[in-house]
Amino acid sequence: MNEGTRQSAMTAERSEISMVPAGCCLCGGQDGRPIGVGEDFEYRTSDQSFLAVQCPRCRLVYLDPRPALSEMGRIYPDSYHAFSFDEEQFGVVHRVRSRLEARRLLRAGRGLPSDASVLDVGCGDGFHLDLLRRHGPPGWRLRGVDTDERAVAAARRKGLSVELSTIEGADIEPGSVDMALCIQTIEHVADPVVLLQAIARVLRPGGRLYLITDSTDSPDFALAKGRHWGGYHFPRHWNLFNRSSMRLLAERGGLDIDELGTTTSPVNWTYSVRNWLDDWGAPRWIVDRFSLTAAPALAVFTVLDGALTVAGRGALLRVILRRPS
Amino acid sequence: MSASRPPVVVIGGGIAGLVAAHELARYGVDADVYEAGPRLAGMAASHVDADGFSYDIGAHFVTNRFVAALGMPGPFHVLPRYGEVVHLGARHHPHYPVGLLGVPRYVASALSERVRRPDRDLTVAADRFRHDYGVALAEEVALPLLEAWSGLPAEELSASVIDKIPTGLAQTIWLRVAQRLTRRAVMIGYCKEEPSATGVHHVSPAGGVGAICEHVASQLPRGVQLEHPAQAVYVDDGRVVGARVNGNDIETDTVISTLPVHRLPSLVQGTDRLERFARFRFRGLVLVNLKLTGRDLLPDVVVWTPQGFPYFRVTETPLAMPWIAPEGKTMILCELGAQPGDDVWRLSDDEAVARCVTTLGPLIGDIGSRVIGASVLRQPLGYPVFALDYEDDRADLAVNGTGVAGLYSSGRNGEFDHILMEDTFWRLRRLVPRIVSARLDASTTRRGGSRGESTQGRAAMT
Repeated sequence: MNEGTRQSAMTAERSEISMVPAGCCLCGGQDGRPIGVGEDFEYRTSDQSFLAVQCPRCRLVYLDPRPALSEMGRIYPDSYHAFSFDEEQFGVVHRVRSRLEARRLLRAGRGLPSDASVLDVGCGDGFHLDLLRRHGPPGWRLRGVDTDERAVAAARRKGLSVELSTIEGADIEPGSVDMALCIQTIEHVADPVVLLQAIARVLRPGGRLYLITDSTDSPDFALAKGRHWGGYHFPRHWNLFNRSSMRLLAERGGLDIDELGTTTSPVNWTYSVRNWLDDWGAPRWIVDRFSLTAAPALAVFTVLDGALTVAGRGALLRVILRRPS
Repeated sequence: MSASRPPVVVIGGGIAGLVAAHELARYGVDADVYEAGPRLAGMAASHVDADGFSYDIGAHFVTNRFVAALGMPGPFHVLPRYGEVVHLGARHHPHYPVGLLGVPRYVASALSERVRRPDRDLTVAADRFRHDYGVALAEEVALPLLEAWSGLPAEELSASVIDKIPTGLAQTIWLRVAQRLTRRAVMIGYCKEEPSATGVHHVSPAGGVGAICEHVASQLPRGVQLEHPAQAVYVDDGRVVGARVNGNDIETDTVISTLPVHRLPSLVQGTDRLERFARFRFRGLVLVNLKLTGRDLLPDVVVWTPQGFPYFRVTETPLAMPWIAPEGKTMILCELGAQPGDDVWRLSDDEAVARCVTTLGPLIGDIGSRVIGASVLRQPLGYPVFALDYEDDRADLAVNGTGVAGLYSSGRNGEFDHILMEDTFWRLRRLVPRIVSARLDASTTRRGGSRGESTQGRAAMT
């Protein structure tokens, strides 16, 4: 009884997020079936409930309704991890992830010219651009765009060339980019089709897009999709893909598929468990064993997801798309 | 899309009408909502009395999934618990229906029915209950309850009255475990359109369920016209051509009515296809709300009383929603099945209250010394009655809709179905795209100078 009263009193103190209807970005349908309902378990920017639905035709998973664009400052708090993923705060996790991701990026960029133009779309604090600067060929021209000024400020502090803009509004010559990166960005935007079309315009004919996003083909999604799946990242992930919806997205975006597979990440597993424990009232010390700074949990789930990746069911979709020549 | 089209006419400013307009707006289709009364919410209205008790009209199950789908900003109360028991022969059987498995007689009779092949089609509710639950449980619990809230002998009711909610025993137990662990009232069953899950629980918006309607109305680009009663819907050649609202004729090709479907025949002019719905009946309820001192007077939120009481169900809502009554006080709702004009319906308020207080003794021993107030509400549209004598027409409405192109009958009363607000929502989410495409088809065929049969067939699908 007291529990209910306490929860409701808490709820009443917050101002809430204003929401707008959203449809399937692939087919325009407005009739998604509900598959998951949850809250902002990670940042608690509101106590509101959010609904993930799935398009019955495209299988796209999307948030409907979703926060109005005017709410971006609210749903991405200053403590948001993508604004400041640094070694000081994340220690060994930062070092391991840096090494893994540098290898992945360089593999994606194999065969590019020595003076290639590389653009990171939604570059956050410049983590990936910084890796390429340190480990990639010295002649690569690296640039980034992001729409959050806190992220852009963090990237610029690292000495990176980053524009505060959407890709459509950025000062980028059409057909000039050899490789675009879109790493865990597409799930955050309102219209991934429009984003892909914009990327296609700036790519040179034959230029490639390296895209990473959460996969709804993964077992962690199947297990936790009702409420606690880390990949929902309520209310910040607005569009979530599997292989088939990714193919549709590439088609709508005007890009050819070079590679479509999965890659390993422990993050969604870790957060699915964390959200579940937190939501069901587990003691804080147990909940805190599952986070971006909790190396043991991340290690265990990396091994698990690594095995799943071998079976083609890793936590993240890894896609290389190409602008037709 | 709709610049040159007259708006859809939506009759009724309850949750069904408001959601219909809201969903149409997603497709860029204009809709005007007309409500006859002076305020929104229809059967979903709420109010607070002078003693600090708050009421909704009837029971409403609202989930976090439903308010999330509406994008409602809250605040919400999370219900800490919800449960039902059956009171039978001076005993409570908790955790309905699981608790009844503790009665060996019921289990034996249910098992023997399971292995027996029924000797006739189970189209009659009485046969179906006896087969599904066993004769003992059916005769002593299920059938008396069904007859009380339906007002007809179970031999005259259709088996389709039985809700087919796919929640198995194992899942029910798992959901109960989740309810205990999360200290939230996980919804078990009830919603027909979407499944139960551990993450879907009962919530209540601050301000009661009426706040849900206000939220949806606030999102409508064209608002709601209050005190605008619908007086006619015009049909020509099997297709809607207009409506009369508040004394004005309006051109439209699409009407979504949320009125009780049995009122459509008198509203719609130009067709006799709706006459068959005039026979549909609703069971009325006399709702006696007792305000009492104390709390936790009943063993669980809902107590079913199949035998020996003038009401079929007693509810202590503050067990699930502690905030609706002042501290140290509670509310007990007794539901009496009635038909407008019958003996129960015509009881004075005092008589109805006395009838409840004098019979509650077996459930609340010291009831007499606890009563501090009471109110009585008479609800003529309590439950749709699934009578056998019009079952074919009811099934036809459910599958094929009204049979008039451009006329849709939606919501609990419009569909003549025992459904939640959330069911209404999901059904409209699936229906509205078909309404939109039927309108497009209709305008195409009209431009072509003829009306295709396929258009009419699709338009009639609800």
